[in-house]
Amino acid sequence: MTDHRGDWPRLVSEALEVSSFAVELSALSERELPSLIDFLADGTWLPFRYISVHAPSKGMSLPEPDLTRLLAELPAWIDAIVVHPDVIEDPENYVKLGRRLTIENMDRRKEDGCDAEQLRPYFEALPEAGLCFDIAHAASIDSTMSGGAEILDSFTSRLRHVHLSSLDGESHHVPLTRKDTDRFSPLLDRCRDVPWILEAPPPHA
Amino acid sequence: MREASASGALERLAERAGEEFSNLQAARNLAAADQPKLEKRLERLEHDPGSSVVLFGSWARRELTEHSDDDWLILVEGEPRDDVSPSIEEVTTILGRDERKPGEQEVFGIHAFCDDIAEKVGLDRDDNTNLTHRVLLMLESVPFTGHDAHRRCWERILDGYLKEVRRDERPPRFFLNDVVRYWRTICVDFVGKQREADEKWGIRNAKLRASRKVLFAGGLLPILQCFRFNRDGMREFLVDQLTAPATDRLAYAFLEWEVFDPGARFFDAYDRWIGLLNDEEIRTELKAVTPENADESAAFREVQRIGRDLERGLLALLFDTDLEPISRQYGIF
Repeated sequence: MTDHRGDWPRLVSEALEVSSFAVELSALSERELPSLIDFLADGTWLPFRYISVHAPSKGMSLPEPDLTRLLAELPAWIDAIVVHPDVIEDPENYVKLGRRLTIENMDRRKEDGCDAEQLRPYFEALPEAGLCFDIAHAASIDSTMSGGAEILDSFTSRLRHVHLSSLDGESHHVPLTRKDTDRFSPLLDRCRDVPWILEAPPPHA
Repeated sequence: MREASASGALERLAERAGEEFSNLQAARNLAAADQPKLEKRLERLEHDPGSSVVLFGSWARRELTEHSDDDWLILVEGEPRDDVSPSIEEVTTILGRDERKPGEQEVFGIHAFCDDIAEKVGLDRDDNTNLTHRVLLMLESVPFTGHDAHRRCWERILDGYLKEVRRDERPPRFFLNDVVRYWRTICVDFVGKQREADEKWGIRNAKLRASRKVLFAGGLLPILQCFRFNRDGMREFLVDQLTAPATDRLAYAFLEWEVFDPGARFFDAYDRWIGLLNDEEIRTELKAVTPENADESAAFREVQRIGRDLERGLLALLFDTDLEPISRQYGIF
């Protein structure tokens, strides 16, 4: 799907081929955000039961208060707005996102927001924020998955949705491998009630 | 290991999840503190033998807030008759005063007779009011006076449902159908009221998404779980379950079927709902919500979110556990 970045109708159409249950519209680069805002504002009906927007985490140039204002103005029917903790400069700017704010645990390339202890200050500062549990990120920090279990133990009531994929050697999201399916199963079992967002095409696609 | 009893299950789940569910706990504490005061006053009223003042709704679910209605009935054993003590006027001097008036005055705040409730089941004789009395009596009622009379009527209805059970290890389908019928009836009646330009659309919609859903699920889950018992065991199980608040029954099910995390999230959502109900500004905002302006209300959006969170937890419990074959087989047809 990375080939069609910014072509929101096409991305939605491709997502629908996988499932009409949940979708995450990712404006990972800040320059993608204006077109996503326009797309969401034009009244196109999206049939998903759960719609998440991934806030920018790259190419950031807007002052944080301006960026979070744009995010807060996303249509009310957006269920979650995923934010990487390492881009948060001042948590106060994110308070206005309310319960839609969803903080994602980070992978091994990041220095913050990777485990339960590092996530805790963000949730303390933003008590309404939810958790987006990226299970592949958790595995990259602790391959035994104890670190992932600790994240769920600590913040299970906050869990809003799961990011599901495997990671390649360069920490890129790739389809779930057989080995990871087995390794992730016990933790995914604890997340069976929340939407799972596939961050790479399913193996059969 | 099988969970021992429904009573106390919410506390056990909270402990397991490391959560407090502080709004729910406060609501339970308030109900426990206020009930004896009202019981004392009601007991001073003259009571005919076989009569009982029964509370429903928040009182019975142990979800009392400062803004809860007093949904009450004078339940009377035997056939319908006039001049029953206590009278409606007498009870009205104690219950439902000021803002605590019963939510649906044509259903509550009246005498109701056990013969009607237990025997007029199905067909035209079983009108909405009778159905409501019967199902609420089973699923969320608590006697403030006349405990024995309430219990006798309650067991009579339960035994009436179980009399139709022909085989062990099957959910009691007659009881199940009556509970499902009640839930679908209140959902349909919601739209009926909406068509009559309902002034309370917002708060009714919110309650349907949260409290009423919990009431329904709190009846559905115990009934479905009966597949594990013979007829005698089924009765014992249902007595244990249905004499506990609906939230305990649901916590029991989340524990019993080992879906602890979804259970924690379910009750986190329900705890938020109780918090909203206790907030006067939020209640005022919800009362002003109409189908036309619903999207503009932050409070209503939060209620929608809570409703979805509750639904996801329940669906995981019903369809992503070993309950799934029973839910599938009995939940639709």
